Amino acid sequence: MSLSERPRPEPDRDSAPWWEAVRRHELIVQRCDGCAALRFPARSVCNRCRSRNWTWVPASGTGRVYSWIITHQVFLKGLADEVPFLVLLVRLDDGDDLLMYGGLVGAGADVLRPGLPVEAVFTDVPGEDGTTLVQWKPRDLVS
Amino acid sequence: MSGFRDRTAIAGVGYTPFSANSGVSTLSLAVDAVLAALDDAGLTVDDVDALATHRVGDSTPPWVVAPALGVPEVTWYLDQFGGGSVSHAVLGQAAMAVASGVARTVVCYRAINARSEFRMGGTGRGPAPVFDAQYQAPYGHLAPPQQFAMAARAHMNAYGTTAEQLGAIAVTQRGNAVKNPRARKRDPITLDDYLASRWIAEPLRLLDCCLETDGACAVVITSADRAHDLRHDPVLISGAAWGGGDTFLSGAGSGPAGTDLTVTEAARLAPRLYAAAGVGPDDIDVAELYDCFTYSVLVQLEDYGFCAKGEGGPFAASGAIGPGGTLPVNTHGGFLSEGYVHGINHVAEAVAQLRGTAGDRQVAGACVALSTAQPGYVLAGTSALILRSDR
Repeated sequence: MSLSERPRPEPDRDSAPWWEAVRRHELIVQRCDGCAALRFPARSVCNRCRSRNWTWVPASGTGRVYSWIITHQVFLKGLADEVPFLVLLVRLDDGDDLLMYGGLVGAGADVLRPGLPVEAVFTDVPGEDGTTLVQWKPRDLVS
Repeated sequence: MSGFRDRTAIAGVGYTPFSANSGVSTLSLAVDAVLAALDDAGLTVDDVDALATHRVGDSTPPWVVAPALGVPEVTWYLDQFGGGSVSHAVLGQAAMAVASGVARTVVCYRAINARSEFRMGGTGRGPAPVFDAQYQAPYGHLAPPQQFAMAARAHMNAYGTTAEQLGAIAVTQRGNAVKNPRARKRDPITLDDYLASRWIAEPLRLLDCCLETDGACAVVITSADRAHDLRHDPVLISGAAWGGGDTFLSGAGSGPAGTDLTVTEAARLAPRLYAAAGVGPDDIDVAELYDCFTYSVLVQLEDYGFCAKGEGGPFAASGAIGPGGTLPVNTHGGFLSEGYVHGINHVAEAVAQLRGTAGDRQVAGACVALSTAQPGYVLAGTSALILRSDR
């Protein structure tokens, strides 16, 4: 699957460390220094205890498929050669309110079911700009 | 929040034609719709002291429309950032401005070339300017049909919702559009037609999606007292509510929806809206529910309290939402078949129903209408109005 024509990540000042970790093939989330709640996406404040202090910590890298779609329509001209393609929404095992997107690797759509265990894998996008994306692989296929 | 219940009214509505290519600017569309709405109310530009709209970098703001029309003096305006989710918040805020005395005559409009210039789902348009798009766009996941497809799949996973149930919404609304001269799609469709339509983003098909449309619609809001002296019977703004708190990717699940894609912000807003108007779901005679996709109708049937969570599919397929049903929905054909003007044409249809001027599609005896905004995906929040006839 070619990812080279996809829009590039546009990190902001809160999320830059997350994207840098993905580039190192590490999956991390924020842990609030005040109440220890894990959070993702990146935010500079905890919406439970309002602490402004946090630590980036490793996530388990495992999760379960919550939902998925298969895109057939060409919404961006650069993706015309890629349709149909599949995008998953995965609920991390680290917390029910931690959701991440990604493609499915190592299997086809026929294996998908709600709750399917998956594990994060990292795809370095061809090109010179050093982009890496998180993808998901069914866990029983992970060697 | 019943502070301005029934104190303001919709006195006029106006449209441009709906098309796939207007051939004119959004300023031109806005001017035409505003003038049509004023004419409908029996007012002129000299009566206007406020304008309100919303946009996402795709339209002409009040501070251009007002001088273009020669509005004598603008005492209040609203140029709200946002898409469909804020469509009804614009009208609610206009009603508040009138109720507070800050403005006397507000014209709310939405003017877009959503097919020929700025397609929501079109090629060549960048990611939506929202937080957290960075986590989706690199996967090619950025258009509204994809967002709603993800939610629809989650609903299917949780409750067994079926394609046929989504299709019932598309078929019902097309049947309504057949009776609406303004509608862009007036050929009846069957469930087989629906099931045969091509995939856009599975599980959503072409006929699950609204019609990207060029056009404008405008609504005149003034005080209820003044509206009584104008051309039409007033349609009172009984309740208005807007707000939110979560996005489905907000990360902390701070509200009832949290990260459950099968619940929208409408679930949190509905009790506040009904309290503002002093009515409940059983009092609603006709509902114009934001239908960017069939699924958004289905989930709002649940979240506005017309059926239990998970029962939206069976409810939609039961005939309840069709003509003669317990809750006629999207009587003009909605965005799926009349055209997508981002929310405000739902309000205009509700006004026609409450005036009793909806012709062949009139819901007999309609006195109370619900009109709703995009229920809260993409941008956090939603908005809605409850309108009442005062005949």
